[in-house]
Amino acid sequence: MRILVVAEHDTEVLRSGTRSAVAFANSVAAQTDGEVECLVIGHRIASVAKEAASISKVLCLDSESLTAPVADRYARVIADVTIQRKIDLVVAASTSYAKDVVGRAAGLLGGSMASDVVGHTVQDDKLVLRRPMFAGAVTATVTLIGHPQIITIRGSAYEPAVASVDESEIITVDIDESSLPNHISFEKIETRSSHRPDVTESRIVVSGGRAIKNSDDFERLVGGLADQLGGATGSSRALVDAGITPNDFQVGQTGKIVAPELYIAMGISGAVQHLAGMKNSKVIVAINNDPDAPMFEVADYGLVGDLYELVPQLIEKLHAE
Amino acid sequence: MNMKILVPTKRVPDTDQKIRIRPDGSGIDEENLPYVVNPFDAIAVEEALRIRENSNDEVEVLAVGIGSDDYERELRTSLAIGADRAMLIECAAALDSWNVARILSVIVQREQADLVLMGKQAVDDDSNQAGQFLAALLDWPQATFASKLDFTENGLRVARETDAGIETVVVRLPAVVTTDLRLNEPRYASLPNILRARKKTIERLEFQQLGLEIEPRIQLLHMEVLSTGRNCIRVSGVDELVVRLRDEAKVI
Amino acid sequence: MTQTADVIVIGGGVAGLSTAMQLALRGTDVVVVERERLGNGSTGRAAGLLGQLRGTAESTRMLMDGVEIVKDLEQRANVEIFVQTGSLRIAETPERKREIIDLVEMGKSINFDIDHLPIDEVSSKLPYMRTDDLLDACYCPTDGHLQPAELVSAYIRIGKSHGVTFRPNCPVGEMIVEGGKVKGVLTSEGPLYAPVVVNAGGPWSYLLAELTGTCLPTAALGHCYLTTRPTETNSVDRLSPAVRDRHLRLYTRPESGGLIVGMYGEEAVEYEMKDLPVDFDMSAMTTRRDDIHVARLIYAAQQRFPWINERTPMTITTGIMTFTPDGKPFCGKVSEIEGLYHCAGFCGHGIVQSPTIGVIMADLIRKGETDYDIAAIEADRYFEIPGFQDRAEVKTKCYDMHAGYYGRVEGKAD
Repeated sequence: MRILVVAEHDTEVLRSGTRSAVAFANSVAAQTDGEVECLVIGHRIASVAKEAASISKVLCLDSESLTAPVADRYARVIADVTIQRKIDLVVAASTSYAKDVVGRAAGLLGGSMASDVVGHTVQDDKLVLRRPMFAGAVTATVTLIGHPQIITIRGSAYEPAVASVDESEIITVDIDESSLPNHISFEKIETRSSHRPDVTESRIVVSGGRAIKNSDDFERLVGGLADQLGGATGSSRALVDAGITPNDFQVGQTGKIVAPELYIAMGISGAVQHLAGMKNSKVIVAINNDPDAPMFEVADYGLVGDLYELVPQLIEKLHAE
Repeated sequence: MNMKILVPTKRVPDTDQKIRIRPDGSGIDEENLPYVVNPFDAIAVEEALRIRENSNDEVEVLAVGIGSDDYERELRTSLAIGADRAMLIECAAALDSWNVARILSVIVQREQADLVLMGKQAVDDDSNQAGQFLAALLDWPQATFASKLDFTENGLRVARETDAGIETVVVRLPAVVTTDLRLNEPRYASLPNILRARKKTIERLEFQQLGLEIEPRIQLLHMEVLSTGRNCIRVSGVDELVVRLRDEAKVI
Repeated sequence: MTQTADVIVIGGGVAGLSTAMQLALRGTDVVVVERERLGNGSTGRAAGLLGQLRGTAESTRMLMDGVEIVKDLEQRANVEIFVQTGSLRIAETPERKREIIDLVEMGKSINFDIDHLPIDEVSSKLPYMRTDDLLDACYCPTDGHLQPAELVSAYIRIGKSHGVTFRPNCPVGEMIVEGGKVKGVLTSEGPLYAPVVVNAGGPWSYLLAELTGTCLPTAALGHCYLTTRPTETNSVDRLSPAVRDRHLRLYTRPESGGLIVGMYGEEAVEYEMKDLPVDFDMSAMTTRRDDIHVARLIYAAQQRFPWINERTPMTITTGIMTFTPDGKPFCGKVSEIEGLYHCAGFCGHGIVQSPTIGVIMADLIRKGETDYDIAAIEADRYFEIPGFQDRAEVKTKCYDMHAGYYGRVEGKAD
């Protein structure tokens, strides 16, 4: 199979998911006697192209008209390159960028697309893919019909490709800029470094309960761990009632319903009213000094102890890594 | 500016319920499973209503569904919430995103819609494709994962929720916009609207009338449910917790 | 795994948990078997409003004593359960005004702290409530609500420390009955033996009774309430009084800066519990955006709280209540089967009745008697009475009871 990996970057470095996508592509190529190329699109992207060349052969498309990753232009470019280079399989990490841009490219290429792939096998030169459905409650095994095929993979499911000693070739690709659509104009991007993601949207939620004594402690322990993990903060009703957290933090029956990939419940006993708001989380961690707390019954991992001691250790340990 | 907003809505199992798989793994067990309007599509309906309510011009909100007769109830929900019209494309076959987008592209052109507002993904298959496919097929601009919409002289200014932060783009109309969770909070239907919706007619179109053949793109081989029972592993300390979350659960 | 006990309590809601805790405090060896999680089911959905003044002096006494029991639980478990917000009854029609006059008179006659409250004072206590149409109101400063989550955790914690064994995720499949005597239960984890079995199965209670070949006239009815999410303009103090508006059939109380508003409407969804999936989880119940009961609730709520409408940010909580033909629970011994006790059918008032009911049940089981007059809640009161043995008839009677629950205008209390 001829495989094209669509790289994602911030013009300076590759995003880590791209390395996982390359690893996936390499594994499929090895089983199908195939070849992998990594497409780097943007403007002033020499350093990214060089970095990509440490893990894969690179196609570099550097143009001022591609400064911002607007969907219609990028999708057209990806589709054109796919056709020109007779690509069989387009791969990208499953990110908001790929869902937007590669998803549209797939629409231009006939719609044979599987999203969020977490596992695969090759059977008779055909890819058999595993992907989650129903927010991860179900895993489906699927194959794609049609050609070319487009796949986004979950970065967490594949080990990132590591750099080899030899740098691969970088091929410069030219495009006809005048043919690119121009119906979306990019204005700006505000990075979220200053504020945390919303609790209903975040992949990771760190939540605090009654064991937390005041808002400073909440910020230091719950907020600190959330920031370390890039997650959102939540709380039980008890903390809202006590005025320690604002109302929109409340996870539970009368608050928000969340189902993140990771929910860390710190000092939350686990009343059903709270569980109603988070029990569909994929992985649940309970940290509580009461070994009998009901939260442990719904948790995947439990840590018994004083969170005032454990959480600073946890933050430090994660920070050190 | 008078405007027609087309809102494709999908009927999905209520994912707050336990999802069970048929014993042979051929699909989900639908018995006793309540169905709802895909929550992201409900957000799209709500946004369309808000656009209508905040506009001085004529805005028509058309909810479209594809499926069997069972779908009527969910389309009626959209009417009860406040959509002006509801249309059912009768199609018994289960469709993947590609075929949904192809059908919608025909309807969008027939209806001469100015804006398509739809959920960023359906919570059953979680594909997150149909909106992008539709925009590609129509050759319209797209703005996915919208968390805020404002009309401007040049079109629609959309704040998009991306992994890197909030991105702002302006799309020229007509366009496809897919909705993210934070765009709005859908309302409940009011009592008078529920009663009114019962009397409204749901327009019906047979899939065959659209002049399309289904082109399957994704074949389901098997489904399995992750074990629902949790078995709490008591970890010895912070170090073990980090190792397990990273290497075993792969969530950090 | 324990195979035998003095008492098996079926049902880990407040009724069962309170009974188990009180039995354990008296030295009885108790096992609680629960089909799902402890405190789930109706208990987990409850709002917990505590209005102590009831139609009869005895039921008022039970609730007032319950407050004292809760104060003891709060100390033992170091948790706040009772939130004393005070409560208001309001009247917008002459009939309802008459009701309030009678209520105040009755309350005063038993030294319950209650009095009429001028409408302008109602307004200042509840600035977020419409009051211009009110004819009268009365205020009970010692009322409030019990926080269900905290109450459950206290029952469990105190029960556990006195030896109660809790078996969650352990549904009962059969009752073991021999020679007219109950011997135990057959659970998903095997048999469990005890000479006394308490049926505290809430909405499932009639099915548990059927397992013994007897009839318990309860029915399962849906209920929902809304909880508004506070905004800058609409926030509700956590100590704002609860309100009962019987004309609009509404009850309200503060919750996390927002307002809970529930309604006992004329119509309710009927549930046949045996038709629900075996692993049915009440906490996963959701409502459609066009649910007619929710629409009616919002419509009524808007009459009293004009800032609430279908666009207000809110959460809808849905659950199943256990209703009985006369609005009273079934508590006590079953004469047909020795050792079997019922403790179910609280008609949406299980949280606030549970503290005293636990004491009553424990005394009945251990001593065969109680200090309370329980004639009105006897488990056997419909035994062999025609019209209460057939499911369809029972359901109709319970449904009618629910329909009149708030709507009925009460005559002078006797």
